[in-house]
Amino acid sequence: MERSLFDKYGGFSTISKVVLELYNRLLDDDDVGPFFDDVDMPRLMDHQTKFVSSLMGGPASFTDDHIERAHRHMDIHDLHFDRLKEIVAGVLEDFEVAPEDIETIVGAFEARRAILIEKPNVN
Amino acid sequence: MSIEAINEQLLRAIGVGVALIDLDDMTLHFRNDTFNEWFGENDANAKLGDLFPALDIDALTAEMSNGGKLATETSFKLRRRTMTVALEFNHTPDTAQNIAVLVCQNITRIKELESMIDSYSMMVERNTHEIKREKEQVEKLLLNMMPRAVYDEYKTFGVVAPRLFDPVSVLSLDFVGFDDLSSQQDPGVIVSELNDIYSALDRIGEQFGCRRIRTNGDSYVAVAGVPDPNEDHALAVVNSAVRFLRYLQRRNETHPIQWQARIGVASGSVIGSVVGTQNYIYDVFGPTVTEALQFRAAAEPMSICASSDFTGTLNGKFELESVPPGSADYSASLECVRIEELNDSTA
Repeated sequence: MERSLFDKYGGFSTISKVVLELYNRLLDDDDVGPFFDDVDMPRLMDHQTKFVSSLMGGPASFTDDHIERAHRHMDIHDLHFDRLKEIVAGVLEDFEVAPEDIETIVGAFEARRAILIEKPNVN
Repeated sequence: MSIEAINEQLLRAIGVGVALIDLDDMTLHFRNDTFNEWFGENDANAKLGDLFPALDIDALTAEMSNGGKLATETSFKLRRRTMTVALEFNHTPDTAQNIAVLVCQNITRIKELESMIDSYSMMVERNTHEIKREKEQVEKLLLNMMPRAVYDEYKTFGVVAPRLFDPVSVLSLDFVGFDDLSSQQDPGVIVSELNDIYSALDRIGEQFGCRRIRTNGDSYVAVAGVPDPNEDHALAVVNSAVRFLRYLQRRNETHPIQWQARIGVASGSVIGSVVGTQNYIYDVFGPTVTEALQFRAAAEPMSICASSDFTGTLNGKFELESVPPGSADYSASLECVRIEELNDSTA
C-alpha cells in the first residue's frame, strides 16, 4: 500500500504543528479570516484538524457531498479559495513539505473548487 | 533608575498579565502592558466585575478574606482569536491594604492544542472502530470457510498444517434429478431454495455436532469429529442425516419443488487442510470421503446408506435394512445398509 503524505511527514506530530500554524494564518488573514468570525475555537480547530489530515491522507476523509453541505451557507468566491490555497501552500512550504507533495495536496484542494464556489444544490 | 522603577519596568514588560486589585471596592490599581493588551485600557474606575463579568466576586471575596487564593479561567475574543487566560488571585500579606495580586497566564495555545487532540483522537477512535468492525466481518467470513481452531492456526502462523483426523464420520448428500431441476427452473429460484435448504441443514447438523465442510451445486458434505474429536461421530452424522430427510419431507409437503435427497455416510480418517493460497478453502478428503460419496450414489431417493461396518457402531439406535448387492445404481458390488429412524423413535 502506498504510504500517505500524512505518514511520510511524521503523522500527527507534524500535522498538529501544520494545523496550528494554518489556524494562526487563517485568523490573521483579512480575506478568509472573516469566515471564522463567529466560529468558536473548538469547532474551528476540529475543522482545521480534519481539513489538514484529510488533505494529507490522514485518518479523516470527506465525501464531496459532505464538503458541499458544510460550506453551503458560506458566500465563498474565487478570491477566497485562491487565498486559502496560497495560505495552505505557504504553511506546507514552511514545514518543508516537498514541492511535488505540496502540488499534490493543493491539487486535491483545487479539485473541490467547484463544489465550494458554485454551490450546485442551492437554488 | 531606582530598584522600584526597574521592577515596575520588568513587571510591565513580561508576557504575563499582572494587576493589583483593591478588594474593598474591586478596582484595579495597577495593570501591566500585557494585561492591558488583553483586557483593554479601561478607565481607571473600571471594576473587576466589568472586566470579567463571569467572575464570581462573592467567591473571590470569601477566598481572599481567608487569605487563600482563587484560580479560574476566562475566555474572550481578541480580533478573531478566542483567547483563554488563566486567572490567579493571591491575597497579599500586607495588612495595611486589602490587596490581591491578579496574575494572568495565556493558555490559549494549550486550549487550542486540547481541542485539536480531542478532534484527532475522535477521528482515530472512529477509524479504529471501523477497522475493528471490518476485521470482525472478515473473521466471520473466514469462520464460514473453516473451523475456528483452523482459523486460529491460520491467523497465528499464516498457514494451516494438514492434519489427519481419525476417527471421524462423513456425511454426503445430493439431490435426485438436480440437473433436470436446475435446467427447468429459474436459476434465482434454485439458488434461493438451495440457500434455504443448506441453511436449515447447517442448523440441524450443528445441533448434533456435525459441520458442513463444503457444498458444490447440489452436493453437500459435512463431518463430525473435525477438528475437535467426537467419540459419537457416527451417531452425530446419522442423527443429522435422519433429520435432514425429515426436514425435507416436511418441506416438500408445502413447497412446489420436491427435493429428493440421497445420503451416504462413512467412518474412518480424513485429511483436513486449507487448500489454495489465493482462493483458499478448508477441505477434507481421503478414502472416507470417497466412501461416503459412493454410498450416497448407491442410496435410493430419501434414504441413507452406509457400510455394515459403519452401521455396526450405531448400537441398535436405528432401523437397519441390508440392500442386496446389485440393486444400487452406482456400484453393483457395494454391500449397502439402509438406515432409518426406529419406528418408536421419539427423537
